[in-house]
Amino acid sequence: MTLVLIVALVTGAILCGIGVYGALSQTNLVMIMMGVELILAGALVNLVAFWRFLHPESYSGQMFVLVVMTVMAVEMAVGFGVAIARFRAKGSVEMEEAGDLKG
Amino acid sequence: MYAQAFFVAVFGLAAIGFGVVVFRTSSMVRSALALLFSQTAVGCMFLAMQTEFLGVLQIMMMATEMSIMAIFMVMFMMDPGGMGGMDMTHQKRFSIGAGVVAAGVAIVVAFWADWGPVTAEAPDAAMQTRALGMELLGRSMLIFETAGITILTAMIAATAVAIPVQTTANSADKEDTE
Repeated sequence: MTLVLIVALVTGAILCGIGVYGALSQTNLVMIMMGVELILAGALVNLVAFWRFLHPESYSGQMFVLVVMTVMAVEMAVGFGVAIARFRAKGSVEMEEAGDLKG
Repeated sequence: MYAQAFFVAVFGLAAIGFGVVVFRTSSMVRSALALLFSQTAVGCMFLAMQTEFLGVLQIMMMATEMSIMAIFMVMFMMDPGGMGGMDMTHQKRFSIGAGVVAAGVAIVVAFWADWGPVTAEAPDAAMQTRALGMELLGRSMLIFETAGITILTAMIAATAVAIPVQTTANSADKEDTE
């Protein structure tokens, strides 16, 4: 059983690593959001594996998964709102051209 | 046990493979579809780990979310089909280093940590769904309600941000044309 837990945790870790690479390397806002989605997917895999193999009697683990899914939905909604506003103002969602957003 | 490990590994490899494709292809529509397949593979991992409700929820939610994302990609990208061969990356070496370090640290923790006794049996699907419902409407109700309010707030905030600002100059121009 530990084998399955380790397989799930390693998968989550690699998904998180790919997401970090994507979020840092992409210049487009929508692609950056895709990277963040992959990081959160890695977190989801870990949470489900922890619930299933370590504490299946406590449903707070599944509750955490629902909270992370909420964060994913909120990130998408706010991210697309910002993308639309930016596209209207500047005609592009390239982050290389968004230096004026710096405080 | 080995069957479960096999299916978790297969779907895990699919999730990782499609995750890599997201940032390897130059077509943005293909990127969105690859992310959809990656998230679906994650949902299938949940099913393989006997977490039926969350697995189905993940697949349904991500199918909708990634379809919307594909539409936005086509709307906003300068080269959505990837025909121009534009490079839309920066600080590549630093990003690869950060990704490798993040994954490496998590893998080391996964192998070195003492996870304690591992449970072989999971509750059946009907029992899980019932118990999660009781959890949502019992002990964790405040968290559940907060999540709902947060999504509602985000929807209103996103709509408010996306609506074009009506300046006085724009209004005057409109009145002149009328």
